[in-house]
Amino acid sequence: MNQQLAGFAPTPVTARMENHGHTMLKVAMATGQDLYARTGSMVAYEGFIQYEPNPPAVRQIASQWITGEGAPLMKCAGDGLLYLADYGADVVVINLNNDALSVNGTNLLAFDAHLTWGVERVKGLAKFAGQGLWNVAVQGTGWVAITSRGTPIVVDCGRGEDETYVDPDALVAWSPNLKVKGKRSFKAGSLIGRGSGEAYQMAFSGQGIVVVQPSEDSTDRLRIRN
Amino acid sequence: MAREFQRGHKAKISDLTSGTDLYVGVQIAGPGLTFDISCFGLDANEQLSDDRYFIFFNQPKSPEESIQLLGAQAGDTESFRVTLDRIPANIHKLSFTATLDGAGQMSQVGPGYIRIVAGGEEVVKYAFTGSEFTTERAVMLGDFYLKDVWRFAAVGQGFDGGLEALLKNFGGEVAEEEAPAAPPQGAAPSFAPPAQAAAPPAFGAPAAPQAPQPAPAFGAPPAPAPVPQQPIHAAPTIAAPMAPAPAPHAPAPAPAPYGQPPQQPQFGQVPGQSAPPAAPPYGQQAPPFAQQPPGAPPFGQQPPGAPPFGQQPPGQFGQQPPGMPQGVPQGVPAGGAGLQAALSPYKETATGQRWTSQNQQLMRVDLTMGGTPVLARQGSMVMYQGKVDFGYKGAGFAGRVVGNATGQEMQLMRCTGRGQVFLAEEGSHLHPIELQGDGICVSAESVLAFDESLQYEVRRIEGHGIPGGALFTMQFQGTGTVVIKTHGVPVVLPVTPTTFADCNAVVAWSSASQVIISSQVRLRRNAYPGHSGETVNLQFRGAPGNFIVVQPYEV
Repeated sequence: MNQQLAGFAPTPVTARMENHGHTMLKVAMATGQDLYARTGSMVAYEGFIQYEPNPPAVRQIASQWITGEGAPLMKCAGDGLLYLADYGADVVVINLNNDALSVNGTNLLAFDAHLTWGVERVKGLAKFAGQGLWNVAVQGTGWVAITSRGTPIVVDCGRGEDETYVDPDALVAWSPNLKVKGKRSFKAGSLIGRGSGEAYQMAFSGQGIVVVQPSEDSTDRLRIRN
Repeated sequence: MAREFQRGHKAKISDLTSGTDLYVGVQIAGPGLTFDISCFGLDANEQLSDDRYFIFFNQPKSPEESIQLLGAQAGDTESFRVTLDRIPANIHKLSFTATLDGAGQMSQVGPGYIRIVAGGEEVVKYAFTGSEFTTERAVMLGDFYLKDVWRFAAVGQGFDGGLEALLKNFGGEVAEEEAPAAPPQGAAPSFAPPAQAAAPPAFGAPAAPQAPQPAPAFGAPPAPAPVPQQPIHAAPTIAAPMAPAPAPHAPAPAPAPYGQPPQQPQFGQVPGQSAPPAAPPYGQQAPPFAQQPPGAPPFGQQPPGAPPFGQQPPGQFGQQPPGMPQGVPQGVPAGGAGLQAALSPYKETATGQRWTSQNQQLMRVDLTMGGTPVLARQGSMVMYQGKVDFGYKGAGFAGRVVGNATGQEMQLMRCTGRGQVFLAEEGSHLHPIELQGDGICVSAESVLAFDESLQYEVRRIEGHGIPGGALFTMQFQGTGTVVIKTHGVPVVLPVTPTTFADCNAVVAWSSASQVIISSQVRLRRNAYPGHSGETVNLQFRGAPGNFIVVQPYEV
């Protein structure tokens, strides 16, 4: 039995963040290199790691995020290995090299605390999407892990002359320099999106990328009742 | 214990079996078609430099008999015996091909496979059907190739010309097909730190033919993990977790669980080494490689004090003195740093075809090609580029019928215009099925999208105990593509006299002709003790060559 299970033993650490399988994230923690992770995403850890839910820094930045009591991020500090997962979603590890990325709040798993980040609301769309669409813009040099329900796809916006339209429920991340606007399809009888007669997409234009997941998962696990 | 490979899967032979005396069986058949199945022994440049290693019906074995043609047996159309350790050193690749003899094209081929049998046990099987091909006249089924060790790759690539063209391809100028170099399965050379280069000497050059390399990390190919099919996708995914690297939290003499060398027992085994029944303790190293002389620090094992392979000498990058965990390794992923590099495995793939699988769960349809609109399940659009109109496709359609009868609306939208539409639904696996005049029946809830050029009609299978009173299926015919979705990896079964499927799990089945469908399906009420009798199994009947698709999920 051990022999079979041994195949799942962690591989040696080569980087700050790594995938263990498709759906688990392994973070090598060290003192002084704190991490923000989604609350409740920790599945295991080794070493001495402390968790601080709703840290003041987050409360500041995310003050507009929620109206409720806590922020959906926790600060992790310490030494050791931290394993994070989000209900079996695929985890994509990104090593930002002075890049910037906007991540849908639902799809953010963890990121280095030293990165510059901020919470913003997608303009003009809050009234469409039932839960409002919050996203976290992360910038700098460091590590970010995002989740995707199913294997994501990355599309280059600048490729076509036309805009790229994305179902907001399937949107994972995008380049912040893209122009975003909500597109509402007023065409009579037009029916896309989930269920309702209201068709809306987000239109992206400009030079950059859009990451989309193959699932229209509208359950916002990051959201605190608001 | 056979592993099912899909197109593009690769694995070390040593991971599949410890034997080197292999039986390779190919089954390929089609109505009225005859095949020449041959094996090309290619050199390092993928050329047939020595035509004594072209093993076919006229030359049934290689000079030293390492490759022998055995003929049809055991259900296989053709079979070979390959003795890997007797293959001469100049042969780097064995390519197994099937070419059509006479008229026909590969799309007419029924379900077939290439499999490897070792020690009387099937160890790997790559199944294909004619629907993966079009007008090709030949197909490269699978390769054995030498990249440090012998590996097997499920190729499944069509080839337009016949046997001659294939020969010319291997003998002529440039071999075009994907090089085995595609996934860097060894120690990723692109891994940035120069310290890595210094590691092998410290370890001592092994006499073994195997280049020292860490076993693939879990979840990465070549394990038959749910790898996406595009090699483009697979390659970087492999490289990243396999880069050998320091174990920062584990000072060498005390292997902590996460400081292990990446030897995984099931991967780390080598031909000639029988699996020790006594499993190594969990988390510990695999047994030493057989080639190592006893006493020498075994490859992959961590001798106390000695820097294990893949671990940099102290003082090098990433290595920390014990007890001083300052700074986690900020190693750059193998693909390079930066956003683009991290996301490059997930790049959109454009093949110039109308329907392109982006990964297992996403389908891209290019409406500019072909010009016919696409009908897709409502809500399945996740993204589009270009000018695309989504219209309501309503009344008169199946959805109405299905909806009325089952309360389960199946509503479609019509995508027209010029642009690319990306379709997905709840992370289901998507499978494009290209129809060329043939027909297929798909359970109504498993249809994701299809070309409007296809003719379709709704069938109703009634029976006691079927939820909702009847099972609705859509029968597609004509020329075009249907995309079906399955929860999980489906199984495709050939239709035999005793083929049954749960009506809730069956996804699709071939309808060789429109007439067959009604007689092909027979409902049986299956009430076994302790069961309420609600379950209805469908029995399928049909001529050989028909198949059914079943998903591991009951709707």
